[in-house]
Amino acid sequence: MSTLKHKGKGPQAMTANELRDGFNVWLDKNLDWTRDYENSLRTEDQDLIDRMQLKAETDEAKNIVVGTYFIDVEPDTGLPARYREKFRVNGPSYDTADLLEAK
Amino acid sequence: MYRYDEFDAQFVAERTKQFRGQVERRLAGRLSENEFRPLRLMNGLYLQLHAYMLRVAIPYGTLSSEQFRMLAHLAEKYDRGYGHVTTRQNMQYNWPKLPDVPDMLDDLASVQMHAIQTSGNCIRNVTCDPYAGATAEEIEDPRPMAELIRQWSTLHPEFTFLPRKFKIAVTAAKKDRALIKAHDIGIQIVKNKAGEVGYKIIVGGGLGRTPIIGQTLREFLPKSELLAYLTATLRIYNRYGRRDNKYKARIKILVQETGIKEFTEQVEAEYATIDISDIAVSQAEKDRITAYFASPDFESLENEPAGYTAELGSNKAFALWAKNNVAAHKASGYAIVNISLKPKELAPGDITAEQMRITADLSDKYSFGELRTTHQQNLVLPHVKQSDLPALFTELQKAGLASDNINLITDIICCPGMDFCALATARSIPISQAIAERFADPERQRTIGEMQIKISGCINACGHHHVGHIGILGLEKAGVEFYQVKLGGDASEDAAIGKVTGPGFSQEELIDGIENMVELYLAKREEGERFLDTYNRIGMAPFKEVLYA
Repeated sequence: MSTLKHKGKGPQAMTANELRDGFNVWLDKNLDWTRDYENSLRTEDQDLIDRMQLKAETDEAKNIVVGTYFIDVEPDTGLPARYREKFRVNGPSYDTADLLEAK
Repeated sequence: MYRYDEFDAQFVAERTKQFRGQVERRLAGRLSENEFRPLRLMNGLYLQLHAYMLRVAIPYGTLSSEQFRMLAHLAEKYDRGYGHVTTRQNMQYNWPKLPDVPDMLDDLASVQMHAIQTSGNCIRNVTCDPYAGATAEEIEDPRPMAELIRQWSTLHPEFTFLPRKFKIAVTAAKKDRALIKAHDIGIQIVKNKAGEVGYKIIVGGGLGRTPIIGQTLREFLPKSELLAYLTATLRIYNRYGRRDNKYKARIKILVQETGIKEFTEQVEAEYATIDISDIAVSQAEKDRITAYFASPDFESLENEPAGYTAELGSNKAFALWAKNNVAAHKASGYAIVNISLKPKELAPGDITAEQMRITADLSDKYSFGELRTTHQQNLVLPHVKQSDLPALFTELQKAGLASDNINLITDIICCPGMDFCALATARSIPISQAIAERFADPERQRTIGEMQIKISGCINACGHHHVGHIGILGLEKAGVEFYQVKLGGDASEDAAIGKVTGPGFSQEELIDGIENMVELYLAKREEGERFLDTYNRIGMAPFKEVLYA
């Protein structure tokens, strides 16, 4: 879970890690978890935000995901506002595994 | 090589079985994350920025070929085909999945390995001089003592919930290759005036957000008193170490706030209450442990055999590699071989499963089946015949493991940084790669000579930037990474904390600035001076001037 506090203002997205595989996930418009941030729900609608909160708590209790939290989203780009969260979206800029796969 | 006794084997098997049950209960929802988190951390399993990360303990950095093959197996079967050697001589896997981890631990247990105490506020894996048992510089092999500490500290009931993590490093040579002065406790095997062998105890060193060089707690401790004295020291820490603020909880803060004189008095007073015979290890047990680390059956060989010297004369690549990567061995006709894990194309410390297997095979063929990991994120084959060096070099070349940059400017210590670490504030791997690219010319590297650049992606300093000749700290502000520079750090027996030059830089500015400082050093250096020596002689001002030019 992020150690940095998000402001909780403006568009929000809900993120977590999959309990089994550990990968980063975000809630999508169907309130299902997606590994692709492009498909994530980013909204300022308080009703939706409340539903996202409930869904996150429910799925954490069901042991589907772990470490749920809202992230701030840049209104203009739709990307996470915090640098750390941008990295969680994009994955490592370098991974030796990518070199192995390229071979 | 130490072999588990029945107690060790039973303990690891039980622990692995326990963790399998804990994972099953977590997946079934019978353990919450709050309940499970401390359990997984006690078994080396973190949840990092993108996935789980498993940290496997390599006690005092010593491995058998069989164990290294198992690490390769783990990388291939459960991860993404590679592992990462850490600055505490351990191995990390960046992509394991939770349901697989019990199987990984079972596989590790089958070769007498585990991941216990690689996390948490306990006594962590003891680190050691990677040349232990091979260098003529040492008074005696420090690994039996390190193994004794491992046995004593493993699941020690009194020291399992310390105020903070606790790191011990050991060495037996004046030349410090284990960074003992930057550890909670550093132990150096020494001789007193009477010629008796004992221990010099250093306490309160550490890096992190408050870097401090350790101070001497005891100039000479008789060998038989080690565990009792460590117990007294840990008790004082456990009693007075701060638990109200995790950033002030390490023993270095306690020693600093108490003062070394008073802290020493507290330890000695506690020590006086301990019945040494309660903790002392029998000579028979010491002998049993020491026997596992007996030197291999070295042949009686001449130094610099004809085939080796002929190859030095005729094969320039081999000669350059031998000059940088090969160190003197205590046995005539043998050598210590450093294998650099700093090729330009890989992250520092990364090694593929295939390379692990090849290295394991090479250790069987050339080094009595033994390997070492180093805190500089490289490998060592400790016992290689000089006559085998040309053949070994050829095989390392084929495996992409013959980089001849040990202790040169591209032999960079680098933490995983923002690319993997949940605590990081900036990336560190791209910085190391940019430096490696800028100074790619091997001839230029050799002209520059010994140079230690160390990079951390946050103030926790896993990349040891405080003790780099050039230390680099990655930070982030308003979504932009920038890098602060320290100069004059020293990770040797003359350990020193570097000084911050001033405001930070972008990556591009940083690499240019480093190059400017290197050029200044080359222009100003006197005969035999390393970058650090020139810096210490002429001071920061001229370096700062070109760094910010």
